[in-house]
Amino acid sequence: MLRRVLSLPAGRIAVAILTVVALLAVLGPVLAPHDPLATSARTLAPGSGTHPLGTDYLGRDVLSRLLAGSRVSVLGSLEVALTALVVGVVPGILSVYLGRAFEWVTLRVVDTLVALPFLLFAVAVIALLGNGITQAMLVTGVLVSPLFYRVSRAATLTVARSQYVEAALIAGASVGWVVRRHVWVKVLPPIAVALAQTIGVGFVIVSSLTFLGIGVQPPEPTWGGLLASDLGYLSYQPWAPVAPALLIMATVWACNLLADAIRDVSGEAGRALVAHRRLRAGRRGRTEPAPTGGAS
Amino acid sequence: MTTTLAPPAAPARRRGPTAARARHALGRVLATLARSAAIFVPVFLVATFVTFALRSLSGLSPARVQLGEDATPEAIHRVEAQWGLDRPFLVQYGHWFGGLLHGDLGTSWTNGADISTLIGLGLGVSLSVASLALVIGVLAGFVLGTTAALRQTTWVDRAITGFVTLISVMPAFVVGIVLVEAFAVGLHVFPSAGYVPMAQGLTPWLEHITLPALALSFDVVADVARQLRTSLVAAYRENYVTGAVVRGLSPQRIFLGHVLRNGLGPALATLGLKFPALVGASVVTEWVFGLQGFGRFANDSAQSGDVPAVQGVLVVSIVLVVVFNLLVNLVLARVTPASQRGV
Repeated sequence: MLRRVLSLPAGRIAVAILTVVALLAVLGPVLAPHDPLATSARTLAPGSGTHPLGTDYLGRDVLSRLLAGSRVSVLGSLEVALTALVVGVVPGILSVYLGRAFEWVTLRVVDTLVALPFLLFAVAVIALLGNGITQAMLVTGVLVSPLFYRVSRAATLTVARSQYVEAALIAGASVGWVVRRHVWVKVLPPIAVALAQTIGVGFVIVSSLTFLGIGVQPPEPTWGGLLASDLGYLSYQPWAPVAPALLIMATVWACNLLADAIRDVSGEAGRALVAHRRLRAGRRGRTEPAPTGGAS
Repeated sequence: MTTTLAPPAAPARRRGPTAARARHALGRVLATLARSAAIFVPVFLVATFVTFALRSLSGLSPARVQLGEDATPEAIHRVEAQWGLDRPFLVQYGHWFGGLLHGDLGTSWTNGADISTLIGLGLGVSLSVASLALVIGVLAGFVLGTTAALRQTTWVDRAITGFVTLISVMPAFVVGIVLVEAFAVGLHVFPSAGYVPMAQGLTPWLEHITLPALALSFDVVADVARQLRTSLVAAYRENYVTGAVVRGLSPQRIFLGHVLRNGLGPALATLGLKFPALVGASVVTEWVFGLQGFGRFANDSAQSGDVPAVQGVLVVSIVLVVVFNLLVNLVLARVTPASQRGV
């Protein structure tokens, strides 16, 4: 799968950007040229040799804060995506097999989750359940899990109704074997697409929360927090928001690009699509998950 | 109906077309409403229950908010009894839910004010901004999406697709900062913060909500444009379009009568899905633009641990989402009747 994604230019760009961001998250605090928390007398300085991106209103080095803050964003978005994956996929597949009662209940739960504005809910939950980014990310993960539920349910439904699965069942295969052998393979590509999208969404949410100053303690550097402190000094440092904003946007863009690339190369028509994608007008279109009886 | 000699269906329909059609349309609206209600009533019950359970989960108490950290256990107990928090959980929920149905969301822990009133004040601001954002989003998204679809695979299409991709990855607060920077700090065209009600004049009101609405609308523009382009391109490939071309229908007629009608459904459905995100993003935009709206109220009361206020905010947001989805479903049923089948 990875090799086929890398065969597309878009896939190469996406993987390159995400690799850089992942490296920043791992090595960021080490690479930082200054202590991200150390204040100095040179406040709101423009970019220079010692401070490539200048300093903020307390004289702290912006580049160091940017590097040190990458870990929170990356970990947070991964937490959102993995929680959503676990919470969404398992009931999504089981809803096809565990009978109508289970199906009805999970569908209603999904309807409810879709109706909740997740940023508002995340704000509320963090503030009420203790000031930690992890709780918020877990809750947000649950709130965005309907995407995984719908995607895996739609894929499972198609497989479950196909003739080869019917044949396998008639030949005496157990449902568990069918799920492991046939369903899983078909569900994986759409899940990979959803995972890439959700990591992007998680990034926006973590940045929004840290922008509002929720979930992290003040001196700790975050990308959103950097932007928030820039907002007060726009007339002195009009260029200051550029670096953190570009980082956030590039990461989200890379996630979307990766999702598109995975969608393009997965499935039977994948290879042919790779060759002809430039000719296809609808290639950028997002295919909505099949309607599975939701409110929206 | 009156004559027995005439062939049954056609003349009868011709005789009373308006009445029959009106009855038919009304029936369809009612059916949509009933179906939506069947989905939304359980949603509402579950969501309010989860919301109410938040207080027990949080372990927060009005005593902590009012008396501070070092209050005596007796004082804490007295305050909690005063708020009715010593009763069983389900009784509390029943009482709260009863009030809810009458539009009473309780009183704030921090200042004892009526929460419905507080939220009502904020909603005026937020709904002004959100409505304008929706109008901008739908109009701009429609223009961009249809232009891209009509000029598909040309440089116009590529430019629009690139622009849409760019704005779709900009979080609301980044857009907000860019707009403040460009129009308020740089060009001094719009005020950078604050709100003026419509009663004080249309122009100042518009001036104050334009930037926040723009910031909020980017996401909508991107989604509507992208969805519309995809579904219009798909509709143009259908056989009935070829058929219409062969019959010699004008391009305008094909676009308006055949393509647009079939392509509009998914874009409208996206709009319904987008609304919760819009409500959520208002928390951020109102912070950037210093608006005392619904989102700001949510943020402030969450940060101060004012549980009833947060519960009120969540309930109101759920109601907003539900009502908006209902409207979208009604419009959808009107525009694309097929969308009502098999859902």
